[in-house]
Parts: sequence; C-alpha cells; structure tokens
Amino acid sequence: MTDQRTPGMSTVPQTAPVLTDSTSLAVEMDPVEYTLRKRLPRKLPKRRNDVYVNMKTDFRAQLARCQKLLEGGGHREICVHGLGLAINRAINIALQLQASSQGVLQLAANTSTVELVDDLEPEDPDEASEPMTRTRNNSAIHIKVFYPDPQ
Amino acid sequence: MFTGCGMIAGQNPYLIRDAVRPLPGLEVSRPIQIENGVPSGSCPVYHNQIYSNAVQPAVINNVSSPLKPMPVPVPPAALKLGQEGFKKVCRTEEDSPCPFPGLASGVLEMRVKEGSKIRNLMGFAMTRMQGEKGISGGCVSDGGLRQVVFTGSGRAVTKTITCAEIMKRKVGSLHQLTKLQYKVVKEVWESSEGGASEMTVHRTVPSISILLSKDPLDPQEPGYQPPETLGALWEEREAVESAPQTPCKRTLGPLPYSSFPHCKRVCLGEGVSVHAPH
Repeated sequence: MTDQRTPGMSTVPQTAPVLTDSTSLAVEMDPVEYTLRKRLPRKLPKRRNDVYVNMKTDFRAQLARCQKLLEGGGHREICVHGLGLAINRAINIALQLQASSQGVLQLAANTSTVELVDDLEPEDPDEASEPMTRTRNNSAIHIKVFYPDPQ
Repeated sequence: MFTGCGMIAGQNPYLIRDAVRPLPGLEVSRPIQIENGVPSGSCPVYHNQIYSNAVQPAVINNVSSPLKPMPVPVPPAALKLGQEGFKKVCRTEEDSPCPFPGLASGVLEMRVKEGSKIRNLMGFAMTRMQGEKGISGGCVSDGGLRQVVFTGSGRAVTKTITCAEIMKRKVGSLHQLTKLQYKVVKEVWESSEGGASEMTVHRTVPSISILLSKDPLDPQEPGYQPPETLGALWEEREAVESAPQTPCKRTLGPLPYSSFPHCKRVCLGEGVSVHAPH
C-alpha cells in the first residue's frame, strides 16, 4: 500500500519516515487509555426455583441450595443457570443432583447466547474522549432439573 | 437416552465426595497419614510413599501396596499428585455411551478441546454443513451434512457451547438437542523420583454433547430446543415471571417450560388450592 502511494517520497532519507511511521502507528494503536467496566448481565428473571450459579459463592453452598429446593422446598423442578465460566459449575451441580438422586432426576439443558455490555471509561478525564460501550456475546446454559412425571 | 445412568449411579460415592470436598489437599491427606501410623510431620520421601498407598482405591495397577486403607476421597488426592513428584504421562478418555441413541453413524462429530481454536473448528464444520457448492455445481448445491455433534468436556464445555451457538446463528433453523453426562478420564501418573511406581487414576469430568440438526428432532426429548430461540430464552422467562400479575391471560398461552410452577402460581393468585395434574 505505502509503496504504491508514495513514489515521490522515496527521495526522503530513510530514517525520517521510519520514525514518523512508528509514532503514528503508536498513536493509532493506543488512542486513550480506558478502564473497562463490565456491567452485570441484564435482566435476571427470578422465580423461586431459579438458581443462578456464580463463581464467587462456595460450590457446596450452591449445591446444598439446589438440594434444599428439590427436597425440602417441594419443587418438582428447578432451573440452574450458568453464564460463561459458571457453565461448568452449573453442569456439575446438575449432574451431582442427578447422581445423588440415584438417577431419578432428569436433566434438560438448553443453551443460549447472552449479550453483555462493557463500559469503556477514559482514564484521563482531560482527554477529549467519550465514554464508550461495547457489546459482546457470551454463552449460557439453562438446565432444568426435574422429577419426570409418572405416566 | 439415559444409558449413562447406571454408570453415574455407580460412581455415586466418589461424586458426592467430590462435591462435598472440592478443595483438595492437606486436610484430606493428613488423616490418612495418621491412619497409617506415621506422624504428619514426616519427611517428603516417606510422605510420598504413604501417599501412593493412600490413593489405593483409585489405583488400578499400583506396584507395591501392602496397606489397604479404607476408601479415601479420590478426586482431591488426584489433584495433589502433581505436587507429590508425580508426572502425568498419559490421559485417555474412556468411551462413554453415545448420548444420542439412534443417530446415524456418519454424523460429523466435532470434539472440542481446551486448546481448540474456534475459527478452526467453525471453519471446518461450516464448510461441511454448507456443502461444497463450488465443486459439484447444482446437483449438490443444497448438500452438506444434515447433522453435526459438538462434544467437549471439562474446561472445553464453554467453548463447545459457543461453537454451537455460533453455528445456530450462522446456519439458522437448526434443531438442537443438548445432553450432559459425566465422562470418565483415565490418567496414568508416573513417579519422577523412583520411576518404578505408576498409578492410574480415574476421574470424572462433566461433558456436554450438542446435536444440531437441519431435520426436526423429537421435541419430547429432554434437552430439545426448537430453532430460532436465539437469546429468546431469557425473554420467555420474563414472561413466565410476569405471570402472577396477569394470571388469566397467561393460563391459555403455551409455555416454553413445564407448566407446573406456572400453574401453581396461577392457583395461588386465584386463591384456589388446585394442584397441577401429573
């Protein structure tokens, strides 16, 4: 590209363009520094039997909560949701529930894509830069853990 | 469908222990040492030997094992092997029953691994699903495979789901069937010090299998997802959640999930103690 565009500039000493090139590149690559703030996933519908699994809470506590819902809470089905990294844990919880029920519980898993919004806030408020937002997708899983209806 | 149930139930004690004690390590191995009559402050060499004995329940072909202690939690022990001078020499996934019985044999199976690149996986899978339009001209123009299965276990589960989601978005109108199961992974560990001792550890990792099909699938099968529910699950849920406010209207509409909790709410709202039929 640059070779085609600048036939006349070939007379310029070699060092100068290299310098200007590198500086302009650096400016392009790193305009302003931003802090990236992740917003929470939007809208979390919550029934009593919805369990949103996260990676902060202790695994045992989350498993116990599900067991309590199924055994003590009188629910015949619960929904275990996991987003991103927590997918693994959600699957683990669902499979543990199934295993501890001696295979009575059944699992029905659905997957989906969740749109997440990140806020980009400029580090330096003096800079003439706007706060930006960026959306990205992340995978999610929704596992229905239920006692099958006796036919 | 649930051919794996027997296996899962058989693994029960291990699994539950894993759940109860996800943190590996020191607390677990300390009682073992005391059990074997060695003070807990023993030197690393002793510790190592005792340790390999203590892991016995998980070990199939351990070399020397005079002691047969009571079963100890296996997965935490396995996690600690790396610190004990053991090196993992081999890791094989045991064949688990296919989660989709009655599936044609020629279905493309994409095995997603932790290090797989999504662009590689998708590049390959998309060309196979879309068929080679350029090569064979008109007659196979709508060709390509009808079904594809994405499987992944452990840390590759998220990537597996992402691949399936991307494919659903790109191809469109795909029927989906998702199955979860535990997969048994056999690991062979070798002691880096003695070289004589080798042990085999069986551990279970969660795995996912996603079948995407251009042809309709059985909607009664648990884990079925009809086409074009991209991101709609969460909105559907909101509709379910808002049911208590408008119970009368909602009762007639078909619900994406079992109507039991919804039905219960409706009953509560109307003050009638009727239970959902089942």
